Amino acid sequence: MTITRRLALSGGAATLSALTAGLPGLARAADGRVVVGTWGGDYGNLLRQNIDEPLVQPKGIEVLQDVASADPRKTKMLAERQARRGTYDISCLSDTDMYLVQQQSTLQDLDKGRLSRSEAVIPALKKSYAIPHIYSALVLLYNPDKVTTKPTAFADMWDPKYKGRVGFSDILYNTNTLAAAMAGGGGVSDYKPAEKMLLEMRKLDAKVYPSNEALAAALKSEEVWLTPMWLARGFMWKQADIPVKHVVPKEGAYSIVFEAAIPKNARNVDNAYTYLDAMLQPQAQTAFARKMGYLPTVKDAKLDADLMQEISLTEEEESRLVQPDYDYLQKHLNEYLDFWNKQFKA
Amino acid sequence: MAALILPAGLLVVALMVAPMLLLARISLNQFSPTEMMVEAMSAENYLRAVQDPYYRSVLLTTMAVALGCTLLCLVLGFPTAYWLARMQSRWKSLATILILFPLLVGNVVRSAGWIALLGNDGAINAALQGLHLTDAPLPLLYNAFAVVVGIVAVVLPYMILTLSAVIEGIPRQAEEAAANLGARPLTAFRRVVLPLAIPGVAAGSVLVFILCMNAYATPVLLGGPQFKMMAPAVYDQFVRGNNWPFGASLAFILLFVTMVLTLVGSALIGRRYRR
Repeated sequence: MTITRRLALSGGAATLSALTAGLPGLARAADGRVVVGTWGGDYGNLLRQNIDEPLVQPKGIEVLQDVASADPRKTKMLAERQARRGTYDISCLSDTDMYLVQQQSTLQDLDKGRLSRSEAVIPALKKSYAIPHIYSALVLLYNPDKVTTKPTAFADMWDPKYKGRVGFSDILYNTNTLAAAMAGGGGVSDYKPAEKMLLEMRKLDAKVYPSNEALAAALKSEEVWLTPMWLARGFMWKQADIPVKHVVPKEGAYSIVFEAAIPKNARNVDNAYTYLDAMLQPQAQTAFARKMGYLPTVKDAKLDADLMQEISLTEEEESRLVQPDYDYLQKHLNEYLDFWNKQFKA
Repeated sequence: MAALILPAGLLVVALMVAPMLLLARISLNQFSPTEMMVEAMSAENYLRAVQDPYYRSVLLTTMAVALGCTLLCLVLGFPTAYWLARMQSRWKSLATILILFPLLVGNVVRSAGWIALLGNDGAINAALQGLHLTDAPLPLLYNAFAVVVGIVAVVLPYMILTLSAVIEGIPRQAEEAAANLGARPLTAFRRVVLPLAIPGVAAGSVLVFILCMNAYATPVLLGGPQFKMMAPAVYDQFVRGNNWPFGASLAFILLFVTMVLTLVGSALIGRRYRR
């Protein structure tokens, strides 16, 4: 190919426009775009199918997903917190992570007047800095063919007859530690009993898997029979023919809410509000429930009775729901990550 | 002439030296769970890393894996490198490409392949159990064995190509002269080829050792949650623990140990064969 003057000029112009694209107020102002920091996999796909494509793109807003697991995205938000212009317009995180990044003043307070769906949100899940998107609870999953006496509590994992058959997902060190704390008489504001319990669990030859997917494979091959896990994840695994049932442990059902928020340095705030509103639409919420087994966070999303029975808690179980103690977690999570890595796993 | 290194030099200063200075500064700060980082000038993070038996053992594991992989690469790589260097046929370039082949596949993809091979229901265990050689799956994955196999498979081409470039420069006549004077092949190798190939051994070992010390994806994916090397430990502190100061100090300890061992190693190899 010969490089003509015209080609060189057009190439130069393209390079220039690419370079200026990131400059404020030059070639492009905040245009029709929203950048969503999210998990990949099912969550990202469901966002695309039920929110991005049907609800947001028709309004002339281009949706860009920045896909990564929560930790690197949190780190990115913290690293960018001094920057005037951040990467994300929307950040999707669990309630605990959201609290942690909010404490580092990375998020803007939401203007409820700009959210048409704010009234529909279940009051207990409302926050000033984030919308709740979906939620579930921490339960005990067990293999009904192997664990013949139905367990009732997290403490049942410490039964010596299940030696070598309890599995944990490494990335859920926080909830695993909490399950151990609850089994040892502690709770959301007291992880201390987890130390003794985890060391005992170590003697019982517990298995630790690098990811939820690796744990799923081990449950499927019946290498492990018991694990603390999100009810919604258990629902998905049942759909995938993994032999598990769940029980809401008598020590308590720890709730998890997956939330979405707008960083302080978001570039497209108007579009971000449009996106949050779309996340709260009933049809988008029911789609997440059907596929992933997470419960809707708005009052007007209706689910089929069968599905409801699979993924929701009974009234009696609901009475055992406990919320995370964010403040405690912020102060102590690092300590328990250290314990998990150095004492339990090592 | 000095101007020739300017473009690359500027790039290194901007993209490596500056961030490293920043990281060095961060490593002296203090971690606070509520504020992330408090400005300080303290060696506390370094002391903690050195005094904590856990991090000492992570560092020792890293050194053992790196040293083991380097030796294994030398033993496995030397014959192949010799064969490649002495190859006259027109297939030589094809052979070189084949040796480079593992580098054409991304680290993560390659590890996924190893997982499919070494896992409890992976190909090897399925075959062993299918042939009734074992009753239960052998623990091949998520341990040091898997990590060493995975790393060696990545770094071996570097060793082979470095060695073969040097061996090619050793005149064949030198070996023939040794044979002529009655040296057996092994003696000729030990007394003639190996000493002449020492620059290649040193360069290849240094390159491979540095790559192994800093391995990240392979130990994470094949070592599993219970096997820790330094690079994943650094990542853990930054990303999972949000403890940037401690993560930065671990990074500098890794850098320092790698540098010292590399210098000592090449000095020792050099002295042993300088006659």
